[in-house]
Amino acid sequence: MMRDNRVRRLPMALSALVALALAVIPLPAAVDALRPDFLVLVVFYWSIESPRAGGLALAFIAGLALDVIRGVVLGQHALALTLMAAWATHLRLRLRVFSVLSQSLTIFALLTGYQFVLFWVDGATGSPVTTFSRWLAPVIGALIWPLLAGVLSRLHDH
Amino acid sequence: MVAFRNTEASGRTTGLLLRCVLYSLLALGLIIFDKRYDHVGQIRRFLSVVAYPVQVAVASPFEGWDWFRESVSSRETLRADKAKLEAELRLANFRLQRYEALEAESQRLRALRDNTADVANRFVVGDIMDLDIDAFRERVLVDKGARDGVFVGQAVLDAGGVFGQVARVEELTSEVILVSDAAHAIPVQVNRNGLRTIAVGTGDMSRLKLPYLSTSADVIAGDLLVTSGLGGGFPAGYPVGTVAEVKRDPAQSLAEVEVRPAAALDRSREVMFVWLKPDAAPAPAPPAAAAPPPPHQGAPKK
Repeated sequence: MMRDNRVRRLPMALSALVALALAVIPLPAAVDALRPDFLVLVVFYWSIESPRAGGLALAFIAGLALDVIRGVVLGQHALALTLMAAWATHLRLRLRVFSVLSQSLTIFALLTGYQFVLFWVDGATGSPVTTFSRWLAPVIGALIWPLLAGVLSRLHDH
Repeated sequence: MVAFRNTEASGRTTGLLLRCVLYSLLALGLIIFDKRYDHVGQIRRFLSVVAYPVQVAVASPFEGWDWFRESVSSRETLRADKAKLEAELRLANFRLQRYEALEAESQRLRALRDNTADVANRFVVGDIMDLDIDAFRERVLVDKGARDGVFVGQAVLDAGGVFGQVARVEELTSEVILVSDAAHAIPVQVNRNGLRTIAVGTGDMSRLKLPYLSTSADVIAGDLLVTSGLGGGFPAGYPVGTVAEVKRDPAQSLAEVEVRPAAALDRSREVMFVWLKPDAAPAPAPPAAAAPPPPHQGAPKK
């Protein structure tokens, strides 16, 4: 059991690092608003696939990393990601037998919840972002989910 | 097709709720402490040093590509660049000829009025790191931080004019909020007649607006806006932008004024941090670790 967990941690950490890099990689301004939250999707994937190897700790740490890199109030992304990763973990047994479409719809709900927590903390701390484009990220994220989950599951097998 | 394997022996979720509540409380605590008090500054500073390698790793391929493209650029390009720069230099020198005399005259007049101007006295050049920090806010990361004496609220200029101000300082980097950020406002003055107002960002790098001018205000397209120096954050007299369009609707009490920023907000790669007045300048920071943030505007901390 211990060995099992240890083996799983490497692809987990690796994919999280790559996703973190993708979150800040420079893109043309037009595409920038369409950038999916890669790190969030990766955290969801691992919450569903092997919650005991990382689970909420991974979500919390990834959230803190996003807070530091984005320069927002410390704990904002950590809170949103923890809550939604816990929800994903709770749903994982059902998610695994869902069809691709249902999975994407669930991921869309989780991403929307994530954006909502961010939105709420933004407002509560007095620096609201009121552009509508932020609500685009969940749609893009849900669309890209099957692809990302496929890649990650390939990585997981090795 | 995405298929998750059912490798897990038991669907054990005991403690999931507990852990969720625990981590959430931790995060909430961080938010509150970060917002209300400055207790987490040290944690944040430490974390940002940890994040620095990631930022450099992401930015360096793009900077490397730029460097490569520059080093293989053709002789014609270089010659054209040189000609352009020479022309610019000639123009700048031409404008500078009278600068010294005007500066002296200005100082003399100010002395008569017993009014000391905010004179920018030390500059440090920083490189903008090639990173997208946040898609919804106009901010950039610059590779100068607390170690170089940068402080929060410091004015940042580029070759064209006012670029923004420092929003957050880390050990090795600092985050600059652009004048075009929707949350940024800067006190300005119409250079032609001295009319004072405030220029507010729009969230669009190519536009600022002056929302507080009445329809009868004397402002026309083409007016140069310079910093007024009121508020003390920015040195006076640096160009902020030119008025692009003035819309006067008789039914409204306020005019809609659109401004094109003077700084190349979307193209600059280097910016200058400015220190006002000699006594506000911190000693050129020695590379000693854990140096406290320099005093803001000469006001001693503690």
